[in-house]
Amino acid sequence: MPRLLTMYRWMWLARALERACAESNPRWFPIEGEEAAVVGTFYGLRPEDVIAPHYRGPFVTYLMRGVELDRLVGQVLGKVNGYTRGRAAAFSGPVGFNLIPWVAADLGTSLSVATGAALSIAYRRESGQADDRVVVVSFGDGTANRGDFHEAINLAAVWKLPIVYVCQNNQWAISQPLNSYIAGPLIAERAAGYGIPGTSTDGNDPVALNDVVLAAVTRARTGEGPSLIEARTYRLTGHWAEDVASYRSPDEVAIWQQRDPLALARGRLQETGHSEAELNEIERTAVADVAEAFRRVRELPDVGDAELGLDEVYAV
Amino acid sequence: MRRTYVEAIVAAIAAEMRSDDRVFMIGQDIGRFGGPMSGSKGLFEEFGPRRIREAPISESAMVGSAIGAAMYGQRPIVEISFGEFLPLAMSQIVLQAANVHYMTAGEASVPVVIRSRLGDGPYRGHPQSYEAWFPHVPGLKVVMPAMARDAGRLMRAAIRDPNPVLFLENMQCYHAVREEVPDEDDPLPIGTARVVREGGSVTVVATGWLVHRALAAAERLVSDGISVEVIDVRCLAPLDLATIVRSLRKTSHLVIAHEAWKVGGFGAEISAQIAETALDALDAPIARVGAPGIPVPSARPLRERFIPNEDDVIAAIHKVMAY
Repeated sequence: MPRLLTMYRWMWLARALERACAESNPRWFPIEGEEAAVVGTFYGLRPEDVIAPHYRGPFVTYLMRGVELDRLVGQVLGKVNGYTRGRAAAFSGPVGFNLIPWVAADLGTSLSVATGAALSIAYRRESGQADDRVVVVSFGDGTANRGDFHEAINLAAVWKLPIVYVCQNNQWAISQPLNSYIAGPLIAERAAGYGIPGTSTDGNDPVALNDVVLAAVTRARTGEGPSLIEARTYRLTGHWAEDVASYRSPDEVAIWQQRDPLALARGRLQETGHSEAELNEIERTAVADVAEAFRRVRELPDVGDAELGLDEVYAV
Repeated sequence: MRRTYVEAIVAAIAAEMRSDDRVFMIGQDIGRFGGPMSGSKGLFEEFGPRRIREAPISESAMVGSAIGAAMYGQRPIVEISFGEFLPLAMSQIVLQAANVHYMTAGEASVPVVIRSRLGDGPYRGHPQSYEAWFPHVPGLKVVMPAMARDAGRLMRAAIRDPNPVLFLENMQCYHAVREEVPDEDDPLPIGTARVVREGGSVTVVATGWLVHRALAAAERLVSDGISVEVIDVRCLAPLDLATIVRSLRKTSHLVIAHEAWKVGGFGAEISAQIAETALDALDAPIARVGAPGIPVPSARPLRERFIPNEDDVIAAIHKVMAY
């Protein structure tokens, strides 16, 4: 199956799932418009590679490595089947699938924690063990101004750690436009200051982005150190589900709706011979799978006192 | 072998590193320089740059990367040169390290040791005592030894612990406190206080340098006929309240003494827990000894008045005994 077609399936699953999450949870941070940036970043990795996706749209990256849809839906609905048993933010995921969980709601600290997973891999390599895993971490353009962005990338560059930093630049930090927090032209250009490669690319073209990411992954796998990639995209919705985003102009949103990554991918697939019916079926299946999962999970019990875990703060 | 407080800590780290390759250290000046105040002396020569890793001055990334490495199989020790720099890594400590085990429903844990130096520092530099911030946060263990052998044994326990452990070393104890510390020693279970001097009239519960000031005060009060029991708390989280209550059932008088500021200091938590669980044991109100509510002054005469000393402990003992 061609890569774009597989990605199209994941992108549609992401859109359908995130729409359902936003309907069920007014504090969900919807992915709409950024599906290509997310799928293009995390597609084509090995299951043993460690991923640390941004809080906007992480579910599809977990599903791409085999996490159970129903258990993620359980986290959104506060049900007993959620991986985190109601304790972490709903968009966290199971560590057993080699990911960095969301245990904090600040921005940037997870960049350093992801860098530590790369440190663990590098430490094994330095001791002579065969270990060619890599870490891929994504974050927003707002987070790129946190001190952890600078500290983590500089540390990874000095120690040549096997990690790829991907900035999912959707041009808005909640209600603030990019020019209110970044004076320079591109976030990727900061890479030069750390002595590592930096590439800015179209985040609404999942194949082009994926080529750039996988080149950086190969570099990291072969011991050449970290890279910084900027995926330029746009948040078509508000910051959270109920945010009507009255702070930006309808003209700007309309321009980016013309560049909806799902519509662009669909057009390209049609040009390469995929039928309307085949592509409609992908869309229909994604929506139906998500609806079925929500229907099943709504019938499960809510998390209760047993999940409070008063004696489970410390590991033993 | 007789070792100073810091020598006992370094010997414990070296012993754990010899037996477990997952243990490595991240910090500043921990290589050929030998660490701040000789805090890693000899480790670089024995273990080299793979395991004694000198990092950029980036406290958040140092602690954060240690957390990530710990989640993914290693047992890092990250050393924040002085307590004054701990706030730079606060989000990593209180939001990431402390939360991972609980928030992942037990799927992951963070076996990391975060070393730092508190109390009055070298040449009156870096003198901050921020220990009370950390036991407030669920998920952290907070260790604060006063004695050389305890420091070594608690470091061994901290390295083997599957949880994040704040290992807070008192700088006044560093080279001044010394005792017999065997090369091979058992880890000391984290969460146990110790009666370091037995007495019957009053209990002084102390941490760090004030354990030694309390012991000196106790000696001076012998001639007055006041028999002072001194308890070294050793671990702020988990707190061994039972050892304190047991002592109070005998002495009925409580003084709490620490080098940190009195307001919001850890003495406030001990006072509250005693008031909740053992108020009936007391014959007098609790007295606390701590620094006054001013930033740490620099000039020697001001600094010497600022840091609580044995006269302050004696005054507090007289106050509770006279009630």
